Amino acid sequence: MQVRLQIRRSDPATGETRLQLYQLDHVRPAATLLDCLEEIKEEQDGTLAFRRSCREGICGSCAVRIDGRTALACRTSVAELLAGGRIPLITPIGNLPLIRDLVVEMEPMWQKMRSVQPFLSPTSDSPGEGRETVVSPALLEAVHKEALCINCGACISECDALTVSPEFLGPHALSKAWRLVGDPREPATGRRLQELSREHGIWECTRCYLCNERCPKGVDPRDAIAKLGAEAFAAGVTRDRGARHARWFVTSARTTGWLRESELVVKTLGVAVSVTKIPLALRLFRRGKAPLPLPRHKAKGLEPARALQRIVAGQDRRGARGIVQGERVLARIELVRVPEPPEPEAEDF
Amino acid sequence: MRRVAYYKGCLAGLSARELDSSTRALAPKLGLELVELENVTCCGAGDIQTADPDYALHLNARILSEAEQAGLDTILTICNVCTLNLRQAALQLGDAELRARVNENLSRAGARTYSGGVEVTHLLWLIARGEGLSRLKEIAVKKLDGLRVAPFYGCQLLRPSKLMGFEDPDRPTSLETVIEACGGEPVDYPAKTLCCGFPILLAREKTSLAELARPLEQALAAGAEAMVTSCPLCHLSLDAWQRNAERALGRKLGLPVFHLSQLIALAAGVEPAQLQLSRHVVPLGSVLAKLSSPLVEE
Repeated sequence: MQVRLQIRRSDPATGETRLQLYQLDHVRPAATLLDCLEEIKEEQDGTLAFRRSCREGICGSCAVRIDGRTALACRTSVAELLAGGRIPLITPIGNLPLIRDLVVEMEPMWQKMRSVQPFLSPTSDSPGEGRETVVSPALLEAVHKEALCINCGACISECDALTVSPEFLGPHALSKAWRLVGDPREPATGRRLQELSREHGIWECTRCYLCNERCPKGVDPRDAIAKLGAEAFAAGVTRDRGARHARWFVTSARTTGWLRESELVVKTLGVAVSVTKIPLALRLFRRGKAPLPLPRHKAKGLEPARALQRIVAGQDRRGARGIVQGERVLARIELVRVPEPPEPEAEDF
Repeated sequence: MRRVAYYKGCLAGLSARELDSSTRALAPKLGLELVELENVTCCGAGDIQTADPDYALHLNARILSEAEQAGLDTILTICNVCTLNLRQAALQLGDAELRARVNENLSRAGARTYSGGVEVTHLLWLIARGEGLSRLKEIAVKKLDGLRVAPFYGCQLLRPSKLMGFEDPDRPTSLETVIEACGGEPVDYPAKTLCCGFPILLAREKTSLAELARPLEQALAAGAEAMVTSCPLCHLSLDAWQRNAERALGRKLGLPVFHLSQLIALAAGVEPAQLQLSRHVVPLGSVLAKLSSPLVEE
């Protein structure tokens, strides 16, 4: 099988970036993209820089962007990439500083991971000399998916909030944070949730789901961030604007069924900050777009919506458990195969 | 006529009422009979899914049960976020054990129970392929005179693709198909599948506006005369908050943004009053003038 790849080459010394076309004439049909990169490096061009180690989706070294989508090179069938005679474009992962060619600086990712203290906090509740803390598999279910993370950086490569706000903790560090907050042995969950509720934490996630889409291990980082939010609520850590925004939807569902949209700004921002939004409100009002608080836009049959909130509040699915029950079910659903992409436009060399 | 359960969500009953009125006006032309669901609430918007996820599941179960009780097998949404939340709940409730628990709670609360099998679909999905597309081509008689329209997909109609699965989440084509069928010319730009920033518009305004500015800027740079979106939440960002994005950028944008239903209705010659285009914050005058149709309001 003949394989042609265009690879973005960059040299930090000169600042030069260019696309380079490589051609391999005898590639076996089952080859991965990583096999091809290695053959190029060994047979054609020893200067091509990329990371790799395990070749089987465990070490997390070889994440790259393939026609824009981040994936592990070692888990990508090259034959599938070539469908329709395309020449795949291989570029480094995003949202991290470039070192050379397909190699990026991972340190910003590690810094954020360290900042969430990715280890259990010390505790005085020792199980006793010579004994260990026993945790049942059922108790670890809440963090099972997050424990699958291989630190490849695929989730942060395209994270939309991170792209525009580089200080955002991001899906990788926040998934790690949930791995600890959700661990039944962790004693300091309250303190952690407070820290994670700061400006660039849980509530800066914009729910674009690109992290879930790209994670090669099914961690679903956005869902981990939602679990942190749910536990913050269960722990009463709800002072952040993001939490107040979310709470207003619950209040609305319970009291009028539909969102009480006109009050959302004040409930989220408080009265003082909301004053700055008066020009916006007037703009909407002039267009008839600002819904008035009264009379309330009420749903019919409201009593069951109220009763449901009371009923579930008294059950054992509070906080993140409400998410875990659903993901257990979804884990059994196979990924939907979507139609083959059309041919991307050719780039100039 | 195909009867579908119409779940319009919160915004189409509030700040985006123009979406509701244009959808209702358009539906008969598309061969759809909309049976509006009563006794339903907000889908949770992703917010209740975070604040109280178990409650969110129950609210969505109730919406699904109302469609089932009305004898309808399909819920039609006009919002990306409603689509994701309802589809997620519908898939989760495919599990007999979880469904039994939720149903017991629904009964205790005096709501109807759900036995499964209701399909959740977005208006875009109904008209971008097959019979729906043929129908669209038949009714789009007025045509948009080659109007250059930028499609904006946003996030939650594409991702997570394992819950949505209608099309390639990175190279979607449905909105382009619809724009073409309406006689418009789709304008391509990279940010069409990225986030409009809406979910954190109030909580993290700076981050949100930085996200919002990209599709607007890119679409204009690519020559768009208007934008169309499948989501009223995206629309609120793109239209009502566009001025704030302009201020953050320090330059004027002024890109008019259509709801999907409005764009099609325009091409199908729906009575202009029902599109309520005057409710938009970014005026559509330039677009309507170009179409040189008798549609201009006021």
